[in-house]
Amino acid sequence: MDAVGPLSDDGLVRLLTHTGEREEHDFFSPYAADLTPEDLRGFYRAMSLTRAFDNESMSLQRQGELGLWVQSLGQEAAQVGSGAVLRGDDFAFPSYREHGVAFQRGVDLPQMLTIFRGLKHGAWDPKEHNFHLYTLVIGAHTLHATGYAMGMDRDGLVASGDPANDGAVICYFGDGATAQGDVNEALVFASVYNAPVVFFCQNNQWAISEPTTRQTKVPIADRGRGHGIPSIRVDGNDVIASYAVTNWAMQYARSGGGPVFVEAFTYRMGAHTTSDDPSKYRSKADEAYWAERDPISRLATYLESIGELPANFVAEVEEEGKALARRTREEVRSWEPGPSVGFFDHAYAAPHATVEAERAWYERFEGSFVEAH
Amino acid sequence: MPKIETFNLPDAGEGLTEADIITWLVKAGDTVEVNQAIVEIETAKSLVELPSPYDGVIAEILVAEGETVEVGAPIVRFEVEGEAAPEPEPAAAPEVTLREVAGPEILQPASRPQDDAPAQPVPEATVETPAEPASGESGAVLVGYGVKAGNVARRERRPDSLEPIGGEDDDFPVHAKPPVRKLAADLGIDLTTITPSGPGGIVTRDDVEQQAKATTPKMLATYAGDDQPWLESGYSAADGRSTRVPVKSVRKRTAEAMVASAFTAPHVTVFQTVDVTETMNLVANLKTDREFADVRVTPLLIVAKALLLAARRHPEINASWDEAAQEIVYKHYVNLGIAVSTPRGLVVPNIKDAHRLPLHALATRIQELTAEGRAGRTTPTAMSDGTITITNVGALGIDTGTPILNPGEAAILAFGAIRQQPWVHEGEIAVRWVTQLALSFDHRLVDGELGSRVLADTAKVMNDPAHGLVWG
Amino acid sequence: MGAATTPATMTLAGAINAGLRAAMERDPKVLLMGEDIGALGGVFRVTDGLFKDFGGDRVMDTPLAESGIVGTAIGLAMRGYTPVVEIQFDGFIFPAYDQITTSLAKLHNRSGGAINVPVVIRVPYAGGIGAIEHHSESPEVLFAHTPGLRVCTPATPQDGYDMIQQAIASPDPVLFFEPKARYWDKGEVSPERVAAQLSQPDGPIAGTLEMGKARVAREGADVTLVAYGPTVRLALQAAEVAAGDGVNVEVIDLRSLSPLDSDAVVASAKKTGRVVVVHEAPTAYGAGAEISSRVSEQAFFHLHAPVLRVGGFHAPYPGSKYEHDYLPNIDRVLDAVDRVCAH
Repeated sequence: MDAVGPLSDDGLVRLLTHTGEREEHDFFSPYAADLTPEDLRGFYRAMSLTRAFDNESMSLQRQGELGLWVQSLGQEAAQVGSGAVLRGDDFAFPSYREHGVAFQRGVDLPQMLTIFRGLKHGAWDPKEHNFHLYTLVIGAHTLHATGYAMGMDRDGLVASGDPANDGAVICYFGDGATAQGDVNEALVFASVYNAPVVFFCQNNQWAISEPTTRQTKVPIADRGRGHGIPSIRVDGNDVIASYAVTNWAMQYARSGGGPVFVEAFTYRMGAHTTSDDPSKYRSKADEAYWAERDPISRLATYLESIGELPANFVAEVEEEGKALARRTREEVRSWEPGPSVGFFDHAYAAPHATVEAERAWYERFEGSFVEAH
Repeated sequence: MPKIETFNLPDAGEGLTEADIITWLVKAGDTVEVNQAIVEIETAKSLVELPSPYDGVIAEILVAEGETVEVGAPIVRFEVEGEAAPEPEPAAAPEVTLREVAGPEILQPASRPQDDAPAQPVPEATVETPAEPASGESGAVLVGYGVKAGNVARRERRPDSLEPIGGEDDDFPVHAKPPVRKLAADLGIDLTTITPSGPGGIVTRDDVEQQAKATTPKMLATYAGDDQPWLESGYSAADGRSTRVPVKSVRKRTAEAMVASAFTAPHVTVFQTVDVTETMNLVANLKTDREFADVRVTPLLIVAKALLLAARRHPEINASWDEAAQEIVYKHYVNLGIAVSTPRGLVVPNIKDAHRLPLHALATRIQELTAEGRAGRTTPTAMSDGTITITNVGALGIDTGTPILNPGEAAILAFGAIRQQPWVHEGEIAVRWVTQLALSFDHRLVDGELGSRVLADTAKVMNDPAHGLVWG
Repeated sequence: MGAATTPATMTLAGAINAGLRAAMERDPKVLLMGEDIGALGGVFRVTDGLFKDFGGDRVMDTPLAESGIVGTAIGLAMRGYTPVVEIQFDGFIFPAYDQITTSLAKLHNRSGGAINVPVVIRVPYAGGIGAIEHHSESPEVLFAHTPGLRVCTPATPQDGYDMIQQAIASPDPVLFFEPKARYWDKGEVSPERVAAQLSQPDGPIAGTLEMGKARVAREGADVTLVAYGPTVRLALQAAEVAAGDGVNVEVIDLRSLSPLDSDAVVASAKKTGRVVVVHEAPTAYGAGAEISSRVSEQAFFHLHAPVLRVGGFHAPYPGSKYEHDYLPNIDRVLDAVDRVCAH
C-alpha cells in the first residue's frame, strides 16, 4: 500500500504475516508465548463461526427477515484475538460490530438478531457475559467504559496484590469514533484518574464512506500518546498479535498501570451496513488488496504449514458453521413480535404516573376494538 | 404433494418501494441451496444479489428480467421439502384493508397461494414514477424497513368505546362548554339556575336558550300600559304571574347579615322624642359659617357628634359579643357606621376613628361615604370593623323604627324625620322642631339602663348642643 | 454544619448540603462528581464541607467536560455506585445532553430492565441573580420531555432536604433542578421523616413516588396558580396581593415535572375553574403548555376561562439589567389572575 499516516500499514506490531508466516516481536512475542496450537485452532474456529453467523445474517437481511445487518467481515482477528484475553472480572464495552467479541464472551449469536429484526434494543444481560449492550451512539460508551473502570478500581479489583483477582475494562470503537468529543473526554478522564481501561480502536479504514484520513491527520494511536496513554498500533488482521498486544495491555491495566490505547489496523471487508454501497466510494483494487490479507486464511495457512490443521477439523468447523447458520435462520424466522403494550415496560425502574396512565389508556384503547391487532 | 413456497421481493433495507429485476442467476428446474444467489436486482442505483431463502427446486420464475417489481410482490416460487397443506382456503380477508393499488398488495398477510390458481403475472405499468413514493410509503431511508403504508381504513370498535373528555366527577358545580358559558354570560343567565339536560349533567346551548326565552322583556313584571318592566331582571313564570330573581351579591350579603344579627343578638329598642330646635339653629349657623362653606351640614352631622359624645360617656356601648370566645370585646376606638341607601341596596360604610374627628372632618367623611355609596364604590374595607351605627330613617320621612344591629356591633341609632310640632316649651305651647330617636341594642352585653342612658345623652346634645361643651 | 438532627432553620442551599451529607452517610456508594465541588465546595457552596469530611475519593473534582462527567457517572452506576453529578450552571448542561438523553434515559429500557442507572444530576437553574450570559437558563422541559428521566425541583428548604435524598435513593436517573435565586431563602427543616422513610426496605420506591407529587402551598377557592422552583415564591406573593382585592388564590407547587402530578392540578382546576401557570422558562413550548393541555382535557367543563401562562419570552435570556422585565413578575402574574377572573 502506498498509504501514509493514519492509513499506513507500516510499523504495525505483527506476529503472523498475511502469507501465513510467523514473525517475532521483541516486546510482544512473550505475550503470545502461552498460545498452543490448540488455542490457535480455537481462534480459527471462533473466527469461522463468527463469519458463518455474519454471512447468514447478511442473507437474512437480503431476504427481508432483518431490517438491517452490520457485518464484522474482515475484522474477526482483532475481535477474537483480543476477546480471548478477557477473563474473570474483565468487562467489555463493544460498539455495534463486535460479533467476534460477543462470541468469545459467550453471547448466543442468533439472539443478537432480535435487535436487527426490530424486536428489542438489547439482546443479552451484560452482567451474565461481562459484555455490555451494543451502543449505537458513536463513541458514547467509551465514557461508560471509563466510569466502569473507575468503579472497578474503587472495588479493589486493580493492583489488588493478587493478579488472578484483578480485572480491567476493554472498550471497542472504530476510527470514525475517535473524532467524537466523547472519545476524547474518555481519554481525559481515563488518564487523569488512571482508570484500568484498554481503549481498543479497530481502524477498519472507513466510517461509512469516509476514509480514516477524514478523521485524523496523524495515526490514531498518536491520540493516546497525546493524553499520556501508552499506545500501540497492531495488525488487526493478525489474530496472534491482536492477542499478544491485548494480553499485555490488559495486564498493564489490571496491575494499576492505567489506560492503554490499542489501534488495531484492519479493513472493513463488507459495507458499513446493508444499506450501504461501497462501490460508490472505494475501489475493487483496494478490496482485493485486503482480501489477500484475510485474517482467517492467513491463520489457516500457518496452521497447515506446521501440520496443525487436520482436514477433519476444518470439516467439523464448517459443519458447525452451517449448523449455526441453520439455527440462526430458523430462530429468526420463528420470531413474532410480542404485544405492543410491552414498550411501556422498563421505561422506568420505579412506577411513573405518566407511564402508568398511558399504559392503562393504551390497554383500554386496544381492548375497544372488536378484533385484536 | 410438493410444498410450494413463494418468495416476495424484500425491502433490501433502503426503504425501497420497488426494484428492477436485472439478471436471473437460476431458472425453473434448477436445484438451489439456501443462501445461494438467485437473482440480481437493482435498487436505487445499486446492484444487490438476493440469496435463496430455501433449499429446493425453482418451481417458477414469476417476473422477467427487465421488469420493475414492487416490494412485497412475489418473484419466484420454490418447491421444497415437506407436505403441502391441505387444499388451502382462499386467502382470509385481511383484518386490515390495505390501499388498493393497481397491482398486488404491498403487505402480504400470511396466506397460501392456491395451487389451482394460475400464476399471477405482474400486471404491466403498475409502478408510479420512481421518484414518487406511494401514499404513506417511504422514499429511500438509510436503515430499516423503510416507512410502511399505515392502515388507511379503521378497525371496527366495540360500542361505547369513546372515552368522555373533561372529567366525570360531580363534586364541583356547573359543567358547560366554553361557548355555552359565553352564551349564558352574554344573556345574563346564571348557569347554576339551569337544570342541565346534556349527557353527564352538562348544560347545553339549548338549555341556556330555553332559559333565555323564559326571560324575554315583555314577560317581566309590567303593569298594563307600561312599556318598561318595573323589575330589571329575573325569570318570569310561564303564566306571567310571578317573577323570580336570584338572590345575589349585595342582596345576599344584606340578608345574611340581617339574619346573623337578628337571630343571634336579643334586640331591645328604646325611644325618645326630642325637641331639636337648637340643633336646627346650629345647623343654620354652620351653613353660613365660612369654615363649613366647603362641606354639607345637616342634622345628621349633629346626631353623629351627639352619639359620639354619648359613647364617650358610656364606652361600654362601643363593644361586641364574641360568642366563640365567650368574651365581650370593648373597642378603644369608634368606627361610626352610616347606613347609606344605594342603587344596589343598603350598605353601611363606617368612619374610621370617628371619635377623634372634629366636626368639620366628621362632616367631610359623612359626605364622602355617602357619595361613594351612591356611586357603588364602597369598598369591603370601608364596611368592615364598624363599632356603632346610625341609620337615618328620617331622610325618608319616617318617624322612627326598630333597627337591626349591624353584625359585630352592640348598638344602632335610628334618627327619624324632624318636623315642626306643637311642643311644651318653657311652660307654653310652641311650635318646635321635634324628632324621634330610637336606639336598638344587644341585650347580652347592654342592659336597659346603659342603653337608655346612651339614648338620653344623645338626645340631650340634640336638645342642647351647647351641652357638648360641658361633656368635652 | 453537622447533619441536621433537630428541626432547624436552613437556607435552601444549606438544606441540600445537609441532604447530600445524610445521603452519603447512609450509603457509601454515593459519590459526588462535578467541577469545583471539592475544596471550593461548589460555586454556590452547596457541597461545602463534604470534601473535608468524606475525602476526594467520594467528592470528586472532575475535568472540565460535562459529557465526560455524565458518561463516566453512567459507567460508575453500572458498576453499582450512585453518582450525584453537579452541572455547574444550567447553561452548561448541553454538552452532556447527548449522554443524558441517549444513554442515561434509555439504558434501563434498552437492557430490558437489567441495568439501573441511578444517577442524580444536580443543576442550579433559572435566573434573577444578575448573572452573566448562560447562567440563568431554564432548560427543564427538554428533560421532562425525554422518557426515562425524572425531573424535579424543590422550592423550599424542607423539600430541598427531602427530595435530594429521595432522588439519590431512587433507582431511576433524576434531573434535580435547584432554583439558584432561592438558594438563600430560609425555612424550617425537620430531618426525621425522610430518614425514616428511606430506612424502610421499600424506601427508595416510596421516596421516588413522593418526589413526584405536587404540594398545595396555599389553599384557595377562586384561582389556581401553578408554579415550580423559583416562581413558587412569586406565586405566593401574588396570592397575598390578590387576597387584598378579595380574590382567594390557591397556589400549587408542582415539585416535579416528570412525572407531572396531573391529579393535583386537575383537582384544583375543577375547584376554581381558573388556572394560571407561572414559570421562568419561555412560555412557548414550556411546562405551562403541558399543564394547560392536561387541564383542558380533564377539566374542560369546569373551566370559566382558558388556562393562562406567564413565562419568559421567546428571546434569548437578556443581560441582567433587563431580566426582571423578562422574567415573570408580580404585575404579570396578577394581570393573568385578573384576566381569568374577568370571565
